[in-house]
Amino acid sequence: MSEKDWFKESYYTAKQLVERGLDKHVRIAVTGLSCSGKTAFITSFINQLLFAADNDRLPFFDMSKQQRIVGAKIQAYPDLHIPEFRYSAAIEYLTASEPQWPPSTSSIAQSQIKIRYKVSNRWYKKAKEFSSLTVDIVDYPGEWLLDLPLLRMSFKQWSTQCTECLGRGSRKELAQDWLDSQNKTQLSEMYDEQSVSEIAQSYRAFLQRCKQSKANISLIQPGRFILPGELAGAPVLDFFPVVDESILAQDWSSFEAESTVRVLEKRFNYYRDKVVKPFFYEYFSKVDRQILLVDCLSVLNSGYESYRDMQFTLSQLLQSFNYGQSNWVKRLFNPSIDKLMIAATKSDHVPPEQHRNLEAFMQNMLQQARNDIRYEGIKMESMAISSINVTQPVMAEHDGKKLMCVQGVEQSTKETIINFPGKIPQQPPTKQQWSDLEFDFVNFAPSNLSPGALPHIRMDKVLHFLLGDKFL
Amino acid sequence: MSNEQQDKPVKISLEKIKSQDKIEVTPINPLQLVEENEQQEAAQIVFKEQTKGGIKRLFWPAFSTLVIGAATFQTYQFIQELFLTNAMLGMAGIVVAGAALVSGGVALFNGWRARRRLANRQSAQQEFKRILQQDSYGKAGHSLQELTQEISEYVEISVLEKKYQSAKQQVHNDHELIQIYSNSVLAGLDKMALDIISKHASEAAVMVALSPLAIADMALVAWRSSKMIQELSRLYGCPQTAFGRIDMTKQVFKNMMLAGASELVAEAGVEMLGKTLTASVSTKVAQGIGIGVLISRMGIQTMSLCRPIEFTEQNKPRLSHLRKAIYNKVVGIVKNTDRDKNEERVKSPIIDDITQND
Ligand SMILES: Nc1nc2c(ncn2[C@@H]2O[C@H](COP(=O)(O)OP(=O)(O)O)[C@@H](O)[C@H]2O)c(=O)[nH]1
Ligand SMILES: [Mg+2]
Repeated sequence: MSEKDWFKESYYTAKQLVERGLDKHVRIAVTGLSCSGKTAFITSFINQLLFAADNDRLPFFDMSKQQRIVGAKIQAYPDLHIPEFRYSAAIEYLTASEPQWPPSTSSIAQSQIKIRYKVSNRWYKKAKEFSSLTVDIVDYPGEWLLDLPLLRMSFKQWSTQCTECLGRGSRKELAQDWLDSQNKTQLSEMYDEQSVSEIAQSYRAFLQRCKQSKANISLIQPGRFILPGELAGAPVLDFFPVVDESILAQDWSSFEAESTVRVLEKRFNYYRDKVVKPFFYEYFSKVDRQILLVDCLSVLNSGYESYRDMQFTLSQLLQSFNYGQSNWVKRLFNPSIDKLMIAATKSDHVPPEQHRNLEAFMQNMLQQARNDIRYEGIKMESMAISSINVTQPVMAEHDGKKLMCVQGVEQSTKETIINFPGKIPQQPPTKQQWSDLEFDFVNFAPSNLSPGALPHIRMDKVLHFLLGDKFL
Repeated sequence: MSNEQQDKPVKISLEKIKSQDKIEVTPINPLQLVEENEQQEAAQIVFKEQTKGGIKRLFWPAFSTLVIGAATFQTYQFIQELFLTNAMLGMAGIVVAGAALVSGGVALFNGWRARRRLANRQSAQQEFKRILQQDSYGKAGHSLQELTQEISEYVEISVLEKKYQSAKQQVHNDHELIQIYSNSVLAGLDKMALDIISKHASEAAVMVALSPLAIADMALVAWRSSKMIQELSRLYGCPQTAFGRIDMTKQVFKNMMLAGASELVAEAGVEMLGKTLTASVSTKVAQGIGIGVLISRMGIQTMSLCRPIEFTEQNKPRLSHLRKAIYNKVVGIVKNTDRDKNEERVKSPIIDDITQND
């Protein structure tokens, strides 16, 4: 090999190395309770990226505004054991002749999008005119998210928390069956598989009732009791919290290893360490950016108890994500989340002049939790968004008053309606004020959506916040 | 309380409305949503009249009356004398005086209008700044539309306007609307403005670099910068006449003084780079570049004066880009002419300094 060839070769290799270094990867965690709009968000997120090259409806996504995106496509995911997010199926649901929201998620699914773009950094530009950014985004049932706080609890702590929760709202009535069956057994005695299994059965039924109740209960643990996925019928799920105050007051190490309490504890630990932990390990390792979706509208519809419940649940979640130095998610999974967005979803239900109120309401709801958390080096933003906008704002005159309303197709009746949902307060109302407040956020069905870029509210800001700085 | 009733939710099926016809529905146009009470509020807040000393306040009116009176009197006497000499001459005198009066009046009027435009632009800037700090909805659209009309009187901006129209949505609040406008329409104008500045600055730089007379440089700067201010102000829709420009130039300089210190510190690094660059060229060329940079500075200040929505940290024009363009142009041209004239280059004093220090 002549010297010249050698030089050429090494130059080529170096260039390739640089090029490979320029191809970046970002992994986004979408978190939110069930029905907070994760699936809709991911569908819209992918959709906006796929059409970003030629879409002037993204004024706040600089990459699109500057027309630097050449194209984007969905890639086959290298992790074969995780099912692919069914983007085209979701779009089909939305754009069908009888449009529907995509069905709710029952298992984990993942998507990978590769975006090709023009490099603008003047140093990197010399090495390469175009580069690509790969975005991973994961969908999973929101029910499972509630298992995250379990990771830092012992069985006893969890049982104590459940006991406290029973005192709140309508839980006690819903739990009556289960409490009756539990009271029949002596928990400190030797365990009997038959009766434990029965009580667990009635505990799961109680959770299902919570889920379906009109009271909009958020905190339903463990998540897989509602949505077992591949664990359906497995004995791992045969446990329940101990809500007997006298037993909770005792020292459990004095109980026999074969006592019901100790067996329940063992099962809880197994569930926590062998089911929940691996799931979050796989999910949260390598996450760079996080978005937390919050559905404030269901809370406003249901009132004070629901508000408190969601506030407590989200605070627990945010604490689990404590991004500070010595937090346990970091110790366990070592993620490097450096940006967090908290978004109030479905803002298309709200007349635009009230969007600011919606944002303020959400911020105030999470104020305490956010104060408790030290976000070191984490950039945070919060806003009201709508992944898929299916309404339009209109002015209507009602009883001689002008009201800004939203117009859309109602989900239940499929009729076009005009809705003034009530006035969202900026400050969280007191318990007394809650009873005076009245809201009616109806569910809107998708209508008139074309297969192109989906209409949205502030998805461009979300894209810019989550991805903007990853482009060179 | 009537207020409470309004907060209750209302849901109406559109099919039912059509049969009963009780409710009037109009698609909203955010432009029409200017709130009345807001205007009232604004009307209530008025600047208190500043009280100057009584005698002092009389100075300008008295002085100008005196000057105008004297001038009128003199002209009258002069024309009378002309009439005494010859009737035709007298007539001609009247015509000339009339023409002077009319053209002077028109110039004064135009100057006054230009100054008012600038003042209006300044208050628009304040207004947008105020809206940007609020969380309002439906107030900015109207002002932005007026602004578009104002600008399009002088500049063809339909392409930029279309960009804005397609990017904005009904759900955008005032803050977002203003940002979108700034990023579409005004960003387009900014680009053109930078071209104008770069053109004038580098032209002036080349002229200074080539001109043999130091006094001529002063005139050059005055002429080029005045021309540039005229073009820039026109571009942003508040064109300044000769009179107005003096006012504006005054403000530009004032802003440059204010910005001066911080800007100098911020750009010290770049300035150093600029010096090492200029070190290799002749003093005259270095002077030229210096003048070019000065004019660029003035241009950028003019932009921020005329731009209805203030620059942010992100979209603020940077001097460094302009500097490079000027340098390239001047050095390119001067090198060519140098070669033509086969002149000997003068060493830069900076290089002299360095060598002496060694
Ligand atoms: N109008 C509107 N409704 C939404 C939007 N996003 C979600 N929804 C509603 O919320 C429901 C649940 O959304 P989904 O994405 O399945 O929530 P997930 O359980 O968090 O995945 C949907 O069926 C819709 O009715 C939105 O952007 N606009
Ligand atoms: Mg889902």
